[in-house]
Amino acid sequence: MPRIGVFVCWCGSNIGGVIDCPKLATDAVNLPGVVYSTEYKYMCSEPGQNSIIQAIRDHRLDRVVVASCSPRLHEETFRKTLARAGLNPYLLEMANIREHCTWVHNKEPEKAQAKSLALVSRAVAKANLLEPLFPSSIPMTKRCLVIGGGIAGIQTALDVADAGHEVILVEREPTIGGNMVKLDKTFPTLDCSACISTPKMVAVSTHPNITLYTYSEVAGVDGYIGNFEVTIRCKVSYVDHTKCTGCGDCQAKCPTKVSNEFNLGLDTRKAIYIPFPQAVPNKPVIDAANCRYFTTGKCKICQKICAAGAIDYEQQETIITEKVGAIVVATGYQLFDWAAAYGEYGYGRFPDVVTGMHFERLVNAAGPTGGKILRPSDQTEPKTVVFVKCVGSRDPAKGKEYCSRACCMYTAKHAHQVLEKVPGAKVYIFYIDVRTPGKAYEEFYQRTISDGAVYVRGRVSKIYQLGDKLVVRGSDTLLGRPVEVEADMVVLASAMVSSGGIEDVARMVSVQVDKDGWLQEAHPKLRPVETHTGGVFLAGTCQGPKDIPDTVAQASAAASKVSGLLFREELATDPMISTVNQAICTGCGLCVPVCPYQAVELKTITERIPGHAPRERTVASVNSGLCQGCGACNVACRPGAIQVKGFSNDELVAEVDAICL
Amino acid sequence: MKAVIDNLRREAVRLLANDEVKMVIGYGEGTDASRTTPYFASTPEQSAAFTWGPLCANNLAKHLLDYRYEDTRLAVVVKGCDSRGINRLLQDLQFPRERLVVLGVPCGGQLDRNLIAPEIPPGARLQGIEDTGKVYVLVTDKGRLSFPKDRFLMPKCYLCETNMPVVADFMAGDPVPSPAREGSDRTAEVNEIEALDVAARSSFWDNEFSRCLRCNACRNVCPACSCKECVFEQAVPGWQQSGIIGSKANSLPENMVFHLVRMFHVIGRCVDCGECERVCPVDIPLRLLYRKTLKDAHILYGAGTPGMSTEVQSPLSEFSPEDPEEFM
Ligand SMILES: Cc1cc2nc3c(=O)[nH]c(=O)nc-3n(C[C@H](O)[C@H](O)[C@H](O)COP(=O)(O)OP(=O)(O)OC[C@H]3O[C@@H](n4cnc5c(N)ncnc54)[C@H](O)[C@@H]3O)c2cc1C
Ligand code: SF4
Ligand code: SF4
Repeated sequence: MPRIGVFVCWCGSNIGGVIDCPKLATDAVNLPGVVYSTEYKYMCSEPGQNSIIQAIRDHRLDRVVVASCSPRLHEETFRKTLARAGLNPYLLEMANIREHCTWVHNKEPEKAQAKSLALVSRAVAKANLLEPLFPSSIPMTKRCLVIGGGIAGIQTALDVADAGHEVILVEREPTIGGNMVKLDKTFPTLDCSACISTPKMVAVSTHPNITLYTYSEVAGVDGYIGNFEVTIRCKVSYVDHTKCTGCGDCQAKCPTKVSNEFNLGLDTRKAIYIPFPQAVPNKPVIDAANCRYFTTGKCKICQKICAAGAIDYEQQETIITEKVGAIVVATGYQLFDWAAAYGEYGYGRFPDVVTGMHFERLVNAAGPTGGKILRPSDQTEPKTVVFVKCVGSRDPAKGKEYCSRACCMYTAKHAHQVLEKVPGAKVYIFYIDVRTPGKAYEEFYQRTISDGAVYVRGRVSKIYQLGDKLVVRGSDTLLGRPVEVEADMVVLASAMVSSGGIEDVARMVSVQVDKDGWLQEAHPKLRPVETHTGGVFLAGTCQGPKDIPDTVAQASAAASKVSGLLFREELATDPMISTVNQAICTGCGLCVPVCPYQAVELKTITERIPGHAPRERTVASVNSGLCQGCGACNVACRPGAIQVKGFSNDELVAEVDAICL
Repeated sequence: MKAVIDNLRREAVRLLANDEVKMVIGYGEGTDASRTTPYFASTPEQSAAFTWGPLCANNLAKHLLDYRYEDTRLAVVVKGCDSRGINRLLQDLQFPRERLVVLGVPCGGQLDRNLIAPEIPPGARLQGIEDTGKVYVLVTDKGRLSFPKDRFLMPKCYLCETNMPVVADFMAGDPVPSPAREGSDRTAEVNEIEALDVAARSSFWDNEFSRCLRCNACRNVCPACSCKECVFEQAVPGWQQSGIIGSKANSLPENMVFHLVRMFHVIGRCVDCGECERVCPVDIPLRLLYRKTLKDAHILYGAGTPGMSTEVQSPLSEFSPEDPEEFM
């Protein structure tokens, strides 16, 4: 028979101010298995914990029930207390009489008293069946995979590599840099984006600990924390980068011009191209869909021109596998497809209605206009520019419910740039709110206002072309009247949405996608860069919209988590995971597809039965590195052969019985 | 019918003589004129005892489970409805396809033993069965007994979906007309119960379940019940006490738990062969219960009758990242 001790916590007045804790402790002594019970003002405090240790020794307790707050808060604390007293830490059960009782029933103390006792009985019933659990250990592969080479991926890769670990960085575009290298200046300091990001890109390519795979994609992830096996698919560039010197002659001579995606279609590039002059790696790729040789069978000019003999039209896709211990997803964002959703803004038919990212390229000295703000339709300088914020953001009907966070600030930046570069320019900004929570952000916004930007509070209801002007119709909700502006150019601050293909990445690394399409962190406040899958972390805008300071901070946070992990020789696994009772398992395999972490597989065992020849049979088996203890398999298993340790069917039934019978 | 029996015997002889299988499971002559009995032949000679006809209600698929952990090949005779049970076992990975030879028989409907037994003179010996199309005639030493198919078949036959096997390596005969009634509504009975108010429905099932003997016949005959050790037979401490959920105690609440848990275990998996209801010694309308789950699975997930193929998984056994998650 177990010897259970019950420890009731007052939590100051949180619990003690609602129910009679001494009475609860006295009542608990009568529960089956309980040999000792007591109460104290703060069980989690040093003296509180010491009193538990003392009681374990004095009363030879072998199970402990703490009736206090949520296990989310203090389960770890009390497990350590048990360990200090020499007891297996998993012989602890908590009854949450604070969040589940006194906080919600503080107006009805009598009922709260009865409910507390019911919750304690539940915990005691389970404690009677608790068994000691022991973590096992798995080896650690001291390398890290980073998916996505935007500023987030770059920062993470550099930090992890600087800590002394090998990093594999996979970027699907021909260059790293992501969205940040397209930006002109960055708020609030207005330093040049390329100047601060390209040195980091170079640092990546020269770092001895970083292996860079650009123009590559992760095709599959197997394994588990400490032991992932990653398949990387390197797309065909038709250029042998080991031979190429990056001279750019091919690009100059190539006869085919196509729309340049780096400049969002504002100018053209060649079919063999280096996306921009500071690209890393600074080597070209052939866009086979548009290449004259690949489409017509004739041309090969680049091959003729290339002195290094690097052009290889026969090049095949390569598949590489790498072993890593941790994975950081940094796949970033793209802009919301406003043209499909906003008919009233012309469905993208008016060339001078552009996005903020177009504006970044137009104002950029390395951009298609050499940094002169010229509107796309006729290359003239716009005198009146209207900015529309929250296009697709904060608009559940047409786009996304959330705020994209960077737009208020970059619109202020853009307004400032127009007023600075175009003499006599007029700038109108339609907004819902102006949000400037960040160091020196509000000051930056105020400066833009004093520059002369006119902020109009209200949404824009229609944009239409009238001659060579764009008429922007909206309302000023502060003055309560309609407004109409004749503009030369309109810049839409379109929402940030997660990168295309995020679902595939999410599936491969077993991370959930939240309702808005971003990757789900383990806890919004306390575990912002971790995920529910061990060894997989998030950095940057793949987790939600943010600006560069936040992106970099998060990237470094992810890197420190990864480094901390990779410094270990082996990993202790959480023992509260699934286990299969092979004697009962029928090998139906139902648990295999329901496991969201691919932790269960079928294996053949040889069974010895007295009086029979040994026979082979298929049963389920759980990979302790992959299993997260979610219990999905548990409910799928009809005979109850697969159960989560610490949440066995018997334990759960005992808890239900204790409360309901 | 004679031809089918001959074909069946010939194939059984061939399989056993060539050592292609170790045993053939089929139907043999019964203890009285109203039924047959499962028959297991391991030599070509024994194969002469196989029979077939409208008295072969048993679903023989379940017998495969007794041999699931051996390495011998077996052959088994199945009707249309039974063949769905074969798919059940295959899909549940309870029997490897390569160790199985499925011998299919065309079925024109099975006689309901509860209806025909009272008509058969005591001690009558069966000499043959004739199928005139509309009528089965049992030829016995005490005379010819006619059983029109529109009155004497098992209720499930009037709703038959597949009177030809959905899986067979060998067919012992050509297709025959289905016994299903024109325009019959497979959900009619379920709808009737659903139309009752909660209290009436509850007392209906209380009344049924209170009779349950917990004899486990329904479970033992079910091709969807393939657990090595049933949850209801695991040694729960104090397993005979009432009040412990999942005990074997024979009381209404425990019987209810037994039947509802069994129902949950077969949702989307029950192949609707109706064997549970046929074998229940106290006539609990179990098939009605499972047909309700069949109907719901159809409405909620567009699921068809399970066992039609091994491709389609039960809707409750599938996980896809695209699953709607409104409840989360
Ligand atoms: C118009 C505009 C102006 C802005 N101005 C400012 C500013 O002035 N100051 C500021 O602080 N912030 C600004 N921002 C915000 C800033 O752009 C982001 O905070 C930052 O770029 C996010 O970096 P990231 O690495 O998370 O994402 P990204 O830059 O999007 O990088 C993600 C990378 O991952 C790659 N990738 C995606 N999927 C895969 C895959 N499956 N496999 C491999 N690789 C993949 C992508 O190709 C990309 O290179 C602005 C944003 C916009 C839209
Ligand atoms: S508890 Fe089961 S379903 Fe959940 S992760 Fe572990 S093995 Fe997979
Ligand atoms: S669901 Fe249960 S019986 Fe089926 S394979 Fe998994 S553990 Fe075994």
